[in-house]
Amino acid sequence: MALLQISEPGQSSAPHQHRYAAGIDLGTTNSLVAMVRSGETSCLPDDEGNRLLPSVVHFAADKCLVGSSALEMQLLDPLNTISSIKRLMGRGIDDVDRLGEVLPYEFVSDSQSQVPRIRTNAGEVSAVEVSSEILKQLATRARLSVDHELAGVVITVPAYFDDAQRQATRDAARLAGLNVFRLINEPTAAAVAYGLEQNAQGLFAVYDLGGGTFDISILRLNRGVFEVLASGGDSALGGDDMDHALGEWIIDQAGFEDLDSSLVRQILIAARNAKQALSETDSTKISIQHGHQQWSGQIKRSQFEALILPLVKTTLKSCRRVLRDANISRPDIAEIVMVGGSTRIPLVQSMVGEFFEREPMCDMDPEQVVAIGAALQADVLAGNNPHSDMLLLDVLPLSLCIETMGGLCEKIIDRYTPIPVARAQHFTTFKDGQTAMSIHVVQGERELISDCRSLARFELRGFPPMVAGAARIRVPYQVDAEGFLSVSADETTSGVVADIVVKPSYGLTDREIENMLRASMENAREDMEQRMLKEQQVEARRVIEAIDSALLVDGEALLTQTEIERIMQYRNKLEASIETAGNEALKQMIKALEDASEFYVAKRMDSSVKQALSGKQIDEVSI
Amino acid sequence: MKSLDFSQNYFELFGLNPDFNLDAERLQARQQQLLATCHPDRFVNASDREKRLSVQMASWVNQANETLRDPVKRAAYLLQVSGVEAGDQSETTSDTAFLMEQIELREEIEACRGGDDALNCCDQISLKLDHRASQLAQEFVSNFAARNLEAARLSGRKMQFIQRIQQQLSDLQFELEDN
Repeated sequence: MALLQISEPGQSSAPHQHRYAAGIDLGTTNSLVAMVRSGETSCLPDDEGNRLLPSVVHFAADKCLVGSSALEMQLLDPLNTISSIKRLMGRGIDDVDRLGEVLPYEFVSDSQSQVPRIRTNAGEVSAVEVSSEILKQLATRARLSVDHELAGVVITVPAYFDDAQRQATRDAARLAGLNVFRLINEPTAAAVAYGLEQNAQGLFAVYDLGGGTFDISILRLNRGVFEVLASGGDSALGGDDMDHALGEWIIDQAGFEDLDSSLVRQILIAARNAKQALSETDSTKISIQHGHQQWSGQIKRSQFEALILPLVKTTLKSCRRVLRDANISRPDIAEIVMVGGSTRIPLVQSMVGEFFEREPMCDMDPEQVVAIGAALQADVLAGNNPHSDMLLLDVLPLSLCIETMGGLCEKIIDRYTPIPVARAQHFTTFKDGQTAMSIHVVQGERELISDCRSLARFELRGFPPMVAGAARIRVPYQVDAEGFLSVSADETTSGVVADIVVKPSYGLTDREIENMLRASMENAREDMEQRMLKEQQVEARRVIEAIDSALLVDGEALLTQTEIERIMQYRNKLEASIETAGNEALKQMIKALEDASEFYVAKRMDSSVKQALSGKQIDEVSI
Repeated sequence: MKSLDFSQNYFELFGLNPDFNLDAERLQARQQQLLATCHPDRFVNASDREKRLSVQMASWVNQANETLRDPVKRAAYLLQVSGVEAGDQSETTSDTAFLMEQIELREEIEACRGGDDALNCCDQISLKLDHRASQLAQEFVSNFAARNLEAARLSGRKMQFIQRIQQQLSDLQFELEDN
């Protein structure tokens, strides 16, 4: 291939001009923005010196508030004050019901759109729009701090975010008018912050315990190259669960009986404050005053630790699993990076240290480290660091599959495969004369389509009719460096091409992903049986299809009415049992039908040989 | 932007001899060296065409690395480069002794499940499987060196069977550790 004329990679056309770029940690509870300025990387504070921007947006008729001013409106005007919107990114209307208890908003029911919309004073808003308000606020903070426009940003997302959730995050940035260099995974960003700022090498475990999620990733750092080996976790486990455990203890101690939502909120706030205090002191006072119900008491750190012990143990289970996934033993881990506010808790630090037999690294603020890493990557991508050899090599978080006959998944790309990656598979037609094929793309680890998450469907039309099994449908998957998927399909004998970019309307719920991963292990055996049954069902339909089309062509010519009836008897029995019979029973019925029609198959072959020979000279058929 | 030469085979791409025994560190170093120049992160500010080409190049490098890193895939690829297709995935072995060995191994794994010290039992089998895998790899190497490609192909198939059993064992280990 000819050389193309471009500037050196990473270098802009005006090499001496500094290009300002920011790293954004768009969190469920809080968001941050960081920048490299004069060689120093730091999280940017607001006018009052706060680095954390609460991820809360209040929509009034004429204006929109973001951050702590919006948070203040939460009790006064809950329906117009949106928080935890990250949980809805890339989700469909169907998902809203499942998240209903955490997101008490008024959703618009609109069959036109797959994306859920929330009714507010400022009109209907989607998750993408709410997130874009947060991004705008952070970008403004960055612009003001350097008094300059931003060349681009790097935004972090959880490692387990699927295609739809990543797409929604990109859409939000576009809506906020930002040029996104890259989306990168949160644990990768944290490793970058430690790896570059502290010049660390070797195998890293990134332990990220946030407000609502737990993430564990293993990375290999080698001379500026950050390679993700495996990641896992529990997408429904975090600091909020600790607040709940402590909240229940308070309710129990105080003997509260009439729990209204405002009392519960007050208890949870008190629990959170006590939790934070207990990271610094050995015991703390809790007092609750709510009308005639009041209580005050003392809690010791050891009591609190007993309450949260099961939660911390659950995180260690995930650690064990991910080490096995990456095929790494504990002593091989060189460093443990702690991320997320909940890792400030002494019990978490000591148990993680004990598990990995190594003191975790707590040199950097666990809440800022992700944004710092994103800022470092943004600075490199902006081209300010032409000699940087930093390179982030990521993996696909969940397997990509397509649906085959019988609702089964054909895995095309396994999870943990390094990206970008391209892979193709071949499929064929199921029926004679089939001229179209529908391709259904899903993401997940289970064998049955119904247990995985649908990403997109597309159709391939217009290939010439052929006998069943003759067409060759090639389906290549391309996953780019950010984890975005594009799929195309073509029929190789006719060259018919259908191209799509997967732009799905919803993604997996966090809990679904975790459940799917867990279930894929537990159900491996059950899946096998299910798979065999499904395959038998497909086989049954194929045999029936073959008999039907044969009978239509020459049944009456070759068979007597009694013979036809006998075959039909077996055929109908099989058809009636497809959905209800077990694997073995189906197998026997298929066999019975094949046996019953064996003589017919023989007759057909004789007859087709005769036809082929008829009207031909003997020398034409000699071999 | 210089494109990689897509007509090279994976060994050529990584500058390695087409041998089964290869230097894993060199493979990794060379992969990172290639990605350092063609990874899409190096073309964030480039034209769409260059971006597309870089995705293709990096995908190809990743694919090559995945193939060479895994012993079973590497064996199949060596044969492919030598003009022998590895054969159908569903092809079964006609080597009765090997077939029996497989059945026994699977039974041994299942027997661990209910045992007193299931994890230890798994570890024992794991060692045995590792040993068997390296035996078969050696068998492959000598067959391949003798240009006895059909025999090498059968060794490669056996390596694949053992790898599947290793996967089955690892699934059981997961299951046991979780409970």
